Amino acid sequence: MVTRNVKSVNFWQVDHKIKNISQIPGNVILPSPQAWQRFKWSRIYFEREPREGYFIWIKKEVDFPLAACINIASPKISQDLTNLLVIEKGIKVGANVVCSAIKNNLCGTHKAKGKLVLKNGSSLEYNHLHQWGKKDYVNPDYEFILEKNSKLIYTYKNLFPPENLLLKTTIQSNENSSSNLNFIINGLSSKIGILDKVNLLGSNSQAIVKLRLVGRKNSQIEAISIISALSPSRGHLDCRGLVVDKKAKISLTPRLICQNKNAQLTHEASIGKISEEELTYLRMRGLSEKEAIDLIVTGFLGK
Amino acid sequence: MEKPLLKIENLHVIGDEKEILKGINFKITSGQIQALLGPNASGKSTLAQAILGNPKYKILKGRLYFLGKEITKFLPEKRAKLGIVLVWQSPPAIKGVKLSQLLEKISRRSVEIEEAKGLLEREVNLDFSGGEKKISELIQILALNPKLVIFDEIDSGLDIERLEIVSKLIKKELINKKVSVLLITHWGQILDFLKPDLTNVMLDGKIICKSDDYKKVLKVIKKYGYEKCKKCKFLAGRP
Repeated sequence: MVTRNVKSVNFWQVDHKIKNISQIPGNVILPSPQAWQRFKWSRIYFEREPREGYFIWIKKEVDFPLAACINIASPKISQDLTNLLVIEKGIKVGANVVCSAIKNNLCGTHKAKGKLVLKNGSSLEYNHLHQWGKKDYVNPDYEFILEKNSKLIYTYKNLFPPENLLLKTTIQSNENSSSNLNFIINGLSSKIGILDKVNLLGSNSQAIVKLRLVGRKNSQIEAISIISALSPSRGHLDCRGLVVDKKAKISLTPRLICQNKNAQLTHEASIGKISEEELTYLRMRGLSEKEAIDLIVTGFLGK
Repeated sequence: MEKPLLKIENLHVIGDEKEILKGINFKITSGQIQALLGPNASGKSTLAQAILGNPKYKILKGRLYFLGKEITKFLPEKRAKLGIVLVWQSPPAIKGVKLSQLLEKISRRSVEIEEAKGLLEREVNLDFSGGEKKISELIQILALNPKLVIFDEIDSGLDIERLEIVSKLIKKELINKKVSVLLITHWGQILDFLKPDLTNVMLDGKIICKSDDYKKVLKVIKKYGYEKCKKCKFLAGRP
């Protein structure tokens, strides 16, 4: 159950209500509307006055991963979150963020506009886990600002997607910064749109983007993955799709935009089906067809 | 006469719109070791796949029985659960799935093989050497607690030392425990290690002869090639 141990998380919101905030000495965790009032500088990043969401300001090294949990627990809730995470210079931190519906039939909406700022020389390993009900609408729109020498590892995992998912991720990568992005999505009768873009702005910036998409039942997945280089930098896109069922559809568009003669951008993309040979092999080991497909999908998604 | 563990009656099988098996009759009893020899494309692997129920191969005619029960239309997983298992000649890689994960899913008993320890945390069959694949296959089929094991070209791609290691494992884990074994082989190297009770020769989709003297069969094949088997008078018991 996703909500297990939520009382120990640093920020916990259910529907529109903050259930718990657990401060970490030397750092600041607040609801976003309070941060807007208290820290004028935060307005540069928030863009508009937030209604709800988290504000986490890491000024001091934390030797355990931050944890945030945002749930929908009541029917027809429409969350409109604005989140801001700022990591000060030279600090390394991990974060585990779970966004979920606690039931399958709540018809909720979860919109989240997030900005994550990694200041000079800082490092963030961010695990973003989504788990939704069949009738939910989910629209995360995250922008990561990577200042000089900063490092980001971001993993977005959604094995129980909603009916509609629109996922937008933007990375602004400055000098000597690097990002490693992983999107792991298992479409189950879902309409999914993915747009991720990395802007390699500074010299010697680097990005690796990996997409693993599975289309099950009548999922319709459209993904556009872009790396744009404006400086001598390096980027690689690795996009793979697996179409499991007859009615599923995956469209993958890797796009490389190079505006600097010393930049090096590469991509690989493939969409395939489950191999009959692998399926038969596993069935001959005693797994049913469904168990065999589940195992192959598990392997493909690298769960 | 002992009741057969597996019995095949007049089996005709098509694959890729071509008839590959053209009337196979075969029996194996509990604890028996048999060999099936034949040249490339004679239908040996197709027979193994058909026994296991690979949906790629369609049965035109004929019946399969296991422990007296007809299994002709059984799904592969049901046959595996009954105790019929196949060691593949070229098993596919299952990317992203560790051998230990697969064993956790399929095991009906716990098995430890010293030689498999280094493979457990690797992805199933991915970049495995020939010898590693055979060990991976062996630990999987042992975990299934089988009654009949079909080895498809277990001796291909193995040097003589590896072949001896694999043969010792087969002897210790299967033959000594009275599990029936069918060894499908092209060249027959493994037969010297495992000494089958009965040797079958397959040509053009048919088992054309059987003998209880594997050495004699191997000698003829080595000397004259498989074509000679068609005319051979001294090998006993035409099916």
